[in-house]
Amino acid sequence: MASYESYSIMTGSGRNAHCLGVRVPPEWPFQSVLIANRGEIALRIVRTVQRLGLRAVVVHHAVDANAPAVRHADLAVEIHGATPVAAYLDGPQIIETALAAGAGAVHPGYGFLSENAGFARACLDAGLIFVGPTPEVIEQMGDKVTARSFVAHAGFPVAPSAIEDDDPATFVERARHVGAPLLIKPAAGGGGKGMRIVRDLAALASEIERARSEGQRYFGDGRLYAERFVENPRHIEVQVLGDAHGNVVHLHERECSVQRRFQKIVEETPSPALTPELRRDICTVAAGIARNAGYSGAGTVEFVFGGGTFYFLEMNTRLQVEHPVTEVVFGIDLVEQQLRVAAGEPLGFSQDELQPRGHAIELRIYAEDAASGYLPTTGTILTLQEPNGPGVRVDSGISSGQDVTAAFDPMLAKLIVHAPTRDDAIALGRRSLHDYVLLGCKTNIDFLRRLLAHPAFAEGEIHTGFLDAHPEVAAEPAIESALLHKLLAVAALTSRPLRDAADAVPALHAAIGAWRN
Amino acid sequence: MAHAFRLMGVDHELWLSRSGGVYQVHVGDISVAATLVPRGEHAHELTVRDVAERVVIARHGDDVHVHLDGETYLLRYSHSLERFAGQTADEDEAVARAPMPGAVIAVSVEPGATVRRGQALLLIESMKMETTIVAPCDGTVQAVHVAIGQTFDRDALLVTLERLKEAP
Repeated sequence: MASYESYSIMTGSGRNAHCLGVRVPPEWPFQSVLIANRGEIALRIVRTVQRLGLRAVVVHHAVDANAPAVRHADLAVEIHGATPVAAYLDGPQIIETALAAGAGAVHPGYGFLSENAGFARACLDAGLIFVGPTPEVIEQMGDKVTARSFVAHAGFPVAPSAIEDDDPATFVERARHVGAPLLIKPAAGGGGKGMRIVRDLAALASEIERARSEGQRYFGDGRLYAERFVENPRHIEVQVLGDAHGNVVHLHERECSVQRRFQKIVEETPSPALTPELRRDICTVAAGIARNAGYSGAGTVEFVFGGGTFYFLEMNTRLQVEHPVTEVVFGIDLVEQQLRVAAGEPLGFSQDELQPRGHAIELRIYAEDAASGYLPTTGTILTLQEPNGPGVRVDSGISSGQDVTAAFDPMLAKLIVHAPTRDDAIALGRRSLHDYVLLGCKTNIDFLRRLLAHPAFAEGEIHTGFLDAHPEVAAEPAIESALLHKLLAVAALTSRPLRDAADAVPALHAAIGAWRN
Repeated sequence: MAHAFRLMGVDHELWLSRSGGVYQVHVGDISVAATLVPRGEHAHELTVRDVAERVVIARHGDDVHVHLDGETYLLRYSHSLERFAGQTADEDEAVARAPMPGAVIAVSVEPGATVRRGQALLLIESMKMETTIVAPCDGTVQAVHVAIGQTFDRDALLVTLERLKEAP
C-alpha cells in the first residue's frame, strides 16, 4: 500500500515529471482562468489552476456564497439569475464577468454550459479561450443524433435506433418498428434528463410527448431519438485526450454500471467485465472516434456493453464527474492536461507511456434517502469529517454549516479509493465510508457501504439494473435492541430537559422510579 | 416523566434517572447505565453496559444526529402533544404537500377554482423528472402557496383546498 500513497493524487501531484510542481510559463496565452461551475468540481479545478501558478476566478450565485470554491478562489464574483441554476447557465453574464475579471480562459467543468457549443463560440468571439474542444466538435459530438450518425458512418458499432430528425412525420412509427423495450432520449440531452424506457408500445406516443417536454425545458431542444434498450447492460466508457496537433490517446475505461434513474453512483477502473482483448478493442474504437472527430482536450466515449459486444452510446465533450478514478490509476491530473491542451501544448506522453496501476473506485456521496426511492434530502451540514489516508481522496464541495437545498443536483462529494486490486479497493472503500461522518442531512453513505458489502458487487456482477435486482441494498436494516439502547442513551444524555429532570430527583427516588416502571 | 424519541418512524419512550453520578436510561422494563464524555469536535465517548465506543453527535433543535460504528441515525424528540394528538387535521381542509423537494414548473389552478379529485394542481420537477400534483379530493382551491420557479422542501404545503361538502 505504501507505494499508493505517493500518487493517490490529492488533486494535483502528477506522476509525470514535467508537471510536478512546475508553474506554467509566462508566454502561455492565459494566466487567469474563470471557472463557470460550482460545487466539488469548481473547487477541484481551482486547486489545479492555482497549483500551476495561475489565477482562479469563480462565479457563484448568492446561495453558494459560503461554498469552499468561493473561499479558495483568488477572486469570486457573484452572478445573478431568476433561479440559482439560471445564473450558472447565463453565458453572456459569465463571459462579461470573465472579461471584467481579466480572465484569459474559461473552464466550464461538467453540466451547465460545458457542452454548449454556442457558449464555447461566444467565449472565442469575446477573445477568451474555452477549455474544451472546438465549438464545431462539440456540435458534432455533443448532439447525440449527429454523433451517432458520424460514428456509424465511420464504421463503428451503434445500436438499432430511430432518429426523429430523419423524418419527424414518421418518428413514432419508426420508433415502434425498432421494437420494445425502447429508450427515448432527448437529442441534446445528457445526465439522464428526460430519458424514458418504453416497454409497452401502447404508451409510446404519450412517453414521447413527456420526453419532448423535458428535453425542451432542460436543453431548449425538444428533438428526440429512440433506440433499442438493452436489458441489464453494463455501462463502460473510455477516457480520451487529444491535443490541437492531431495527437489522441486513450486512458483506458471506466465502468459505471451501478446507477439509479440513469445516474451513476459508483464508477471504477479497470472494468471487471473486460478481457484484455475487449479492453484493447473498446479503447481503440474510442480513440478512433475521437481521432476521426478531430478531438482536442479531455473527452469520454460511452458504450453499452452486453453479451460480449459493445456499441457506441454517446460522447461527452467535457470532463466527467468520475474522471478521478482515471487520474489515480494513471497518476495524471486531467484538469492540468485540459489546460495544457487549451494553451496549445502538445500531449506530453504517447499511448505506450500510459500504464495504469491498481484499481480505483469512486463513490458518489448524494443527499438522498436510498430507502425512500432515492428521494433527495435537504438540511444543514452540522458536522463533517471526511476520511483520509493512503489511497483515499475526497473531492468535496461542501463544508460544515452549509445548507443543502433542492436548488441543485444532490451530489455533495465524491470518495475515490485506490489500491492494488479490486478486492483491496472495495475493502478500502468500506473502511473509508465507515469513517465518513456527515451529520445534518441524510446521505447515501450507509447505502454505499451496503452496496460494497454485497456479494454480487464483490463478484463484479454489476449492470445498470443492479439496484432494481437487489432491492435489499437500498433497504435500511432493522435496529436491534442493543443498538437502540445506545442510540436512546445518546438522545437522552444530550437532551437538557431530561438531564435536568434526572439531576433534580434524589437517587433513592430514582431507584424506586425504576421499579415502579 | 417519560419522554419519547422517534427513530425510523417509531416512537420510543424513555426516561432518565441518576444514581451515584451515573445516569440510567429506562426503556420499557430495561435500565442501562450510560455515560457520555465529550471528546471535542462533536466526538464523544459513549459507555453503555460498560462498553465504551466513539460516537459523533450533532444536535439541531429536536433532532439528534448520531454517527455510531460507521452508520448514521436520526432521532427526533417527540413532543407529547404531537404524540397524543395523532392525526386530527381539520376534516374540511385538504392539502397537497410536496412528496419530495423540488421546484414548481407550472401552476394549473387559482384560488377560488373548483377542482375534482385527481385533477392537476401543479407540475413540479424533482430528481430531473416531472411530477403532477393532483387534488386529493373534490373541493375549492383556497390558496396556492408556491409560485413558478420556487423551490421547496419535502412536505412543504403546496395547495390548500376546502373540501366539497357532500349534499345532505
